Amino acid sequence: MIVMVGGILMILQYFIPHQISQTIFAYYTDWTPIILAFALVLGVGSLTRIHSHKIRRKAKNWQYSYAVLIPLFGMPILAHILPQSLGGGMDSPSIFHFFFMHVQVSIQATMFSLLAFYIASAAFRAFRAKSALATVLLLAAVIVMLGQVPVGELLGKWLPETGLWILRYPNLAAKRAIMLGVGFGMLATNLKIIFGVERNWLGGAGK
Amino acid sequence: MLNIDRRWIFLGIGIVSIVPFFINFGLPVTTTMEVESIFDYVNELGPDNAIFISFDFAPGTQAENMPMAVGVMRHAFHNDVPVFMTANYPLHHGMMLAAMEYVFNPTTVGFYQEVFFDDWRDLREAGVTGKYELIEAWENQGNQLPDGAMGWVFEGRDYAALGYAPVFNLVILGMTVSIETQYPVDAHGNSTGEMPMLREHKSLREIDLALTSSGSGACVWWVTYAREKIGLPIAFGLTAVMATDYFPYLQSGQVIGQMGGLRGAAEYEVLLTENGITPTTDKAFTGMDVQSAAHILIILLIIMGNIAFFAGGFHKKTLLKGGS
Repeated sequence: MIVMVGGILMILQYFIPHQISQTIFAYYTDWTPIILAFALVLGVGSLTRIHSHKIRRKAKNWQYSYAVLIPLFGMPILAHILPQSLGGGMDSPSIFHFFFMHVQVSIQATMFSLLAFYIASAAFRAFRAKSALATVLLLAAVIVMLGQVPVGELLGKWLPETGLWILRYPNLAAKRAIMLGVGFGMLATNLKIIFGVERNWLGGAGK
Repeated sequence: MLNIDRRWIFLGIGIVSIVPFFINFGLPVTTTMEVESIFDYVNELGPDNAIFISFDFAPGTQAENMPMAVGVMRHAFHNDVPVFMTANYPLHHGMMLAAMEYVFNPTTVGFYQEVFFDDWRDLREAGVTGKYELIEAWENQGNQLPDGAMGWVFEGRDYAALGYAPVFNLVILGMTVSIETQYPVDAHGNSTGEMPMLREHKSLREIDLALTSSGSGACVWWVTYAREKIGLPIAFGLTAVMATDYFPYLQSGQVIGQMGGLRGAAEYEVLLTENGITPTTDKAFTGMDVQSAAHILIILLIIMGNIAFFAGGFHKKTLLKGGS
């Protein structure tokens, strides 16, 4: 009932510019972060419980649980509790800023960069022109790849132009069809949730 | 050949990724209509307009997304267009701060000299808030523009680092009514109500463009909640992997332009340099040499793999086994 009333209310609110509607929306935007904050408490609590349990029981790879728990609590302490005179705070120069820029940013960028190596290896092993369709796909990929880089233009002006044509026409048509399908599916699923037809999100409570 | 150790492939990618940084090929990058439309739009804006730059990317995609956001930021500063900066996720807030650090760093070629909000409080309280009168008054106080700086940018007048706010799709909706209610203070704790740029541009209805430099589907929030509700012009800055997915938004006119991947960022840098807005191109343009070499290597690997596959008769064996 709460989901149905709330869902219908927010759908109607979106299309009504009256002041009462805007007031309802303002209340909603004020309350949503508060409710989500409880989810944060739940998430942090659950993570802490799982990893402290692993450490206590010396489960497999228990040492890595310290790598989870120490930054989980350490970074907020560095950002919000440690005084600025001791290197606290979020802005540069601070210990938090140092760890963010020189550890987290570097690690995340590295993890993403590894993809380039795996893609090259996968390209060698898996991209095969085994059928007519696979050949067309491969040719299109090669043309688009070469068209995206300056070397492609040196090889021939037709390469970037053809690559752009592929992106602007066949690719666009296919993507639009997929988007429409996904959009209609999302609309149907959300309406089913709002009207109580779909109750899986309740975790079995609807059975 | 099909059983080549993949570490040789990794080594090849490593070499083609590193060597172009030392040997600058400087291959020319031609611009496309999708990026030119963003450039032309921002170029038409001036001190009476304002733009949003939303840092919706994580460190993993910063190689592609950061040059896009930095390029548009520098373009806006050059044209004296006030810039609001937001982030849709706590991690992306750090990317916003990193971009500002880069643009305001004296070691960056063509940097801008920032003036903190508190530093020009006396001028603000004296009612000096217009861009050009502010520069004059600031310099009359004895402040000199450092060598190599492209100009002064005043916090609260030329830029506002609003940062991250939770449930960002609702924040966008809320900003269509009032920016100050969603961000009563900015990322540095300054009251947004005292900022001249907030007094002149109270909501997204008074903003002229929102660029979302995004590594995820969050870019669509701006279209859904801002473009469709109040008609705010949106521009996309996307990773190359995502760029193909969002061409329908371009074709339908829901976004004014799109920078796709490192190539899109390099095109914007070329446009900035050709129009005298920045003295040189930047990291994205340099990265195009690396991308050229890597793409050629991958294509060669594909060709080699197929030659080895067909020459080894594997396609016949697959047919005999009933494969396609």
